Amino acid sequence: MNAIVSEFCVEMQNIHKYYGPVHALKGVDLRVKRGEVCVAIGPSGSGKSTLLRCINQLESISAGRVFLKGELQGFTERNGRFHQLSLSQIAAQRRLTGMVFQRFQLFPHMTALDNVMEGPLHVKGWSKERARAKANELMKRVGLDGFGNRYPGQLSGGQQQRVAIARALAMEPEVMLFDEPTSALDPELVGEVLDVIKDLAQSGITMVVVTHEIGFAREVGNHLVFMDQGQVIEEGHPRTMLASPKNPRTAAFLSKVL
Amino acid sequence: MASNIESMEAGSQPVSTRTRDVTHNVVAPRRHPGRWLAIAVLAIVVLQIGQAISTNPNFHWDVYLKYLFAPQVVRGVGWTLLLTVIAMAVAIVVAGLLVIMRDSDNPVLRGLAYSWVWFFRGTPIYTQLLFWGLFAVLFPKLSIAIPFGPEVISVETKYIVTPAIAAILGLGFNESAYLTEIFRAGFNSIDRGQAEAAQALGMKPPKIWWRILMPQAMRVIIPPTGNEAIGMLKMTSLVLAIPFTLDLTFATNAISNRLYLPIPLLLVAGTWYLAITSLLMVGQHFLERHFGKGVSVHPARAE
Repeated sequence: MNAIVSEFCVEMQNIHKYYGPVHALKGVDLRVKRGEVCVAIGPSGSGKSTLLRCINQLESISAGRVFLKGELQGFTERNGRFHQLSLSQIAAQRRLTGMVFQRFQLFPHMTALDNVMEGPLHVKGWSKERARAKANELMKRVGLDGFGNRYPGQLSGGQQQRVAIARALAMEPEVMLFDEPTSALDPELVGEVLDVIKDLAQSGITMVVVTHEIGFAREVGNHLVFMDQGQVIEEGHPRTMLASPKNPRTAAFLSKVL
Repeated sequence: MASNIESMEAGSQPVSTRTRDVTHNVVAPRRHPGRWLAIAVLAIVVLQIGQAISTNPNFHWDVYLKYLFAPQVVRGVGWTLLLTVIAMAVAIVVAGLLVIMRDSDNPVLRGLAYSWVWFFRGTPIYTQLLFWGLFAVLFPKLSIAIPFGPEVISVETKYIVTPAIAAILGLGFNESAYLTEIFRAGFNSIDRGQAEAAQALGMKPPKIWWRILMPQAMRVIIPPTGNEAIGMLKMTSLVLAIPFTLDLTFATNAISNRLYLPIPLLLVAGTWYLAITSLLMVGQHFLERHFGKGVSVHPARAE
């Protein structure tokens, strides 16, 4: 059953999420093709971050199904019933994704290089030399060659977020998830992080990006999703959708942020 | 100068090379006459107290010196140190388990951990030690048996729960209740996003605890735990309740009862407790420095 090869890298079917009485996601469908850069926008509390966190099971879903590369996430389905996977099976599934958080979440007690090496070394079980070589290569890629020995507290916000991107990439994920990666940054540091993400997008890796940067969505995205009140209101190609939104709620939101 | 800057790696700040161009302000140091006055007054007071103590025959300094390194006393120091270290180790292991149990999804484990803390924190240590001493009386035999069926193995309790074991378990279990609360505070002080970041890397829970959460919690845990270790050092004098008769306080009390001279032997005990406490403080300093990596106010330059 898991062997079905899907053309979609991420496929979310009819996702519902309740926080107690709050209905945060109301039947969301999302399909992201391989190599696609999917950008989710919408007002605060629209559920876009929650949706992103459902992809790598940081949030449990109340109803629906999440597939990564055709594989059902978090459960096995037998005789019409869902059976929860074990924590180590869930950990294994999470290796398909890499995540970048709004507040970086680098491990403060490790140097930048150790942060990047942590996954390959202690999750993938690589040798120290191989992990270090990979980490050095990634630090170079995010423009932080020579900063490996610094602790996160000695780096600027933009540098920390670039290390966080390198840390996620070190696991060689199929999908990169970005949860408002520039929202906690000083304005002058936003550019350096967006440049790294743009660079990644051009390399062909599948990405889902939750952001408030409409300019980024237009320039880099090839699939734009507008969410409001726990639902996908409109989706399409960024350039056409940003130029002429079909739904009045999309238009109202865009008129405020553009 | 220019070549100096060029030769540096991209991004490092060329600050130190510039300072040569700056003419520093000439700052005259402030005078502190009040401090000198205070030092003079204190010196006189200290000298007077020193004289009063050292020349007072009631302190029996000759007896103090004679017994400071007496074999019973040194053996007592050894036992006190041993009890402190082992009981603390027991407490740390038990508290580590309890804190994980309290965080667990399993309601039985959570309840068990909660009850343990409730019981050992809620009863006096002296009472607990008395009960540990009476353990062999209450349960003369320890046996593994099939319930209501035949015994498999049976041992006399007094061979297992010796006074030393009773002291270690009594002190250790009591301490574990307090340490659990300290550990919990340490783990609660960490941003929840840290565990999420580790999960997102695909780490399994034991690794997340060990590699991500524990080292960060340590920074918060160590200062109060150092306090507890020093408290434990002095709490070992209560093992008389078991009775365990080899520790430092018991040894010095025994000598003073024989000589009818309590003061010099109290001073002997006090000196040793102070010495061991100082030793523990040095250890704490190095632990704090180790776990303060990356977050200390004065970051150790890694370059």
